[in-house]
Amino acid sequence: MHEVLLQAVAAPASYSDPPWLNTGDNAWQLTAATFVALMSVPGLAVLFAGLVQKKWVVNTMLMTFAGFAAILIVWVLWAYNMGFGYALFHSGVSWDYSKHNVMANFFANFVGKPATTLSAASEQARASIPQVDAGMPPFGLPQASVVYFQFVFAAITPLLFLGSVLGRIKFKVWVVFVPLWTTFAYAVNAFLLWGGGFWAHQGAGDFSGGYVIHLAAGTSGFVAAAMIGPRLKRDRDRAIPHSLPLVAIGAGIVWLGWNGFNGGDPYFASADAAAAVINTNMATAAALLTWVIWDMYLGPARKPTFLGAVNGMVVGLVAITPSAGYINGSGALLIGAIDSTIVWFAWTYLSRTRFMKKVDDAMGIVYTHGIAGLFGGLLLGVFADPSVVEYSSVGGSKISLSSLLYGHHPGQIGLQLGAALTVIIWDAFVTFAILKVISLFTPLRMSDEELETGDLAVHDEEAYPESEGATRILSGYGEASHLPPASAVPVGGGA
Amino acid sequence: MILVTAVIKPHALDPVREALSFVGIAGMTVSEVRGFGRQRGHTEVYRGAEYKVDFVPKVKIEVLVGAEIVDQVVEAISNAARTGKIGDGKIWVTNLENVVRIRTGETGPGAI
Repeated sequence: MHEVLLQAVAAPASYSDPPWLNTGDNAWQLTAATFVALMSVPGLAVLFAGLVQKKWVVNTMLMTFAGFAAILIVWVLWAYNMGFGYALFHSGVSWDYSKHNVMANFFANFVGKPATTLSAASEQARASIPQVDAGMPPFGLPQASVVYFQFVFAAITPLLFLGSVLGRIKFKVWVVFVPLWTTFAYAVNAFLLWGGGFWAHQGAGDFSGGYVIHLAAGTSGFVAAAMIGPRLKRDRDRAIPHSLPLVAIGAGIVWLGWNGFNGGDPYFASADAAAAVINTNMATAAALLTWVIWDMYLGPARKPTFLGAVNGMVVGLVAITPSAGYINGSGALLIGAIDSTIVWFAWTYLSRTRFMKKVDDAMGIVYTHGIAGLFGGLLLGVFADPSVVEYSSVGGSKISLSSLLYGHHPGQIGLQLGAALTVIIWDAFVTFAILKVISLFTPLRMSDEELETGDLAVHDEEAYPESEGATRILSGYGEASHLPPASAVPVGGGA
Repeated sequence: MILVTAVIKPHALDPVREALSFVGIAGMTVSEVRGFGRQRGHTEVYRGAEYKVDFVPKVKIEVLVGAEIVDQVVEAISNAARTGKIGDGKIWVTNLENVVRIRTGETGPGAI
C-alpha cells in the first residue's frame, strides 16, 4: 500500500524543472501578468466604451484590442530588449562607475539594443535583465515570464492615452502610431527607469510605472490630442457617457487588475509583493473617497457622482504606482488622499484655463494619469520608508528607498523630478515627431462625414444593432438580385 | 391647430431645435426612430456574414403649432435639416381636431 502511494507521488518528479526555477514566483508572475493584461482587454476597452457615445463604441473597442495585439508583435521582435536588454552602444553591461561625466552617462544609458525574444533560450532560459541583475536577487523565473509581464505594461500605456484621442483619430493612424511609440518612447522610458538605464542608476524610484507608464500616457495623450485636433464640436459638447454600467465593469477590472500591476513588480512572490498589493488598495480607497468628498462639498453639483468615484479610483491607483513597494501603510493612505486632492483641483480649475480647453483630451488622461503620475512619483520622495524592503539581501545589503520623511533623504525628490522631466520632454517630442511624420502620408483625423456617423461609417458595425430590417446577403446572389434598385422605392415609403 | 412631424438625420436635431426656438416654438417631442426612403439602408458585417439593413437611424420631431405659423415652422425645419444629400428626411403636416393641456384642462388653440 505504501509502495503504491510512493510511486504515485514520485512519478511526476521524473520531470524536473531547472534548479533555479521557483514555481511559486513563476506562478505569481504569470498570474500577475494576466491580471494586468485583463486591465487592457477587456478592462480599458469596456471602460472607454462606456464613456463614449453610442456611435463610437465599436471603434473604441477595436482600437484597444488592435493596439494590444500590435504592441506584442513589436515587443517580441525588438522593443523588449530596447527596454530591458544591453545598452545600445555597448557590448556588455554599460554602466561605467569610473566615468563622472553625467551627460555622457545619460546618453550611454538612454535606451537598449533592439533584439528579438523569439529563440528557445529567450523563452525558457533563466530570466536576466543584464543591467539590473547585479542590483537584485537572482531570478527564479524563465525569461518568457519577464518578457510577457513587461509586455502587458507596454501594452496598457498607449491604450491609456487612447482615451485622449478617441472619437476622431483614424484607425489606420492608430495602428501605425502605437508600435512606433512603443519603440521610440516606451522603450526609452522603461530602459531609463527599469532596465538599468540612467535614472535607475541615479536612484530614481518608479516601482510600477508612475512615470514609465502614467506620466508618459498623460503627456503623450495630451500632445497627440493637440496635434490631431478636437472632436466634432457637437460630440464634444455632448460627451455624455453612453453606459455607466460598462464603466463600472471596466473600472472594477482595472482596480483589481492593479493587484498584479503593483504586486508583480518585485518579480518575486515576496513580502514586498504583498505590501505593494495592500498599499495599492489603501491608496485607491483613500483617493476614491477623497474625490467623492470634494465633489460633495465643492463640486459643481455638490453631489457624490459615480464618475467622480471612478476618477478618484484611477488617481489613487496611479498615485501609488511609483511607490507601492517602497512605502508603509500610512504613506499609502496619505499619498492617495493628497494626490486625489491635487488632481481634483486641477481637473476642476486648471481645466477652465484657455490653454487646457483648447486641447480636446477626451477622457482627461492628462489629469488622471499625467498629473496623478507626476505627483505620485514626487510623493515617493516624501514618503518612501527604508524599513519597507524590496529585496532583503542583495550582496548582504537590503534594497529599499529613503525619503524626506523617512531616512533623511530629501534628495530623492530631486531624483524623482529629474526622471519626470526626462519622461515629459522625451515623450512629448517623440509623440509630436511620429504624428508629424504620419501626417505627411495621411490625415490624422477621420473625415467629417465619418465623424458624423461614427462606427457604421468606419467599421460597418454598430454596438447595438437592431435586427429589424436586416437581411443576410448571400454570397453569389449580390444585393441587386433581391432588392429593388433605389429609384424603385415608392416615393411615399417614409423618410 | 396643426401637427408638424419631421423625420430628419440625427445630427440635424440641434440646428432644427435652434431654428424652431428662433421662430418662437416653445416645445416639441423628439424620438429616435429607424426608417428608410430613397436613401435606402446600409450594409453591416457580423461574424463574416454581410447584412443589408434597410432601416437607418433617424430622429422624429413632433411640433404642435397654430395654423398661422405652420409655413414658417416647416421652412425653419427644412432649412435647418437640409444638406442637399439623399436621406435628409421628410416633413408632413396634419390637421388636428383637438388638443388638451393636461395640467389645466384647457382645450383647443389655447392648449398649444
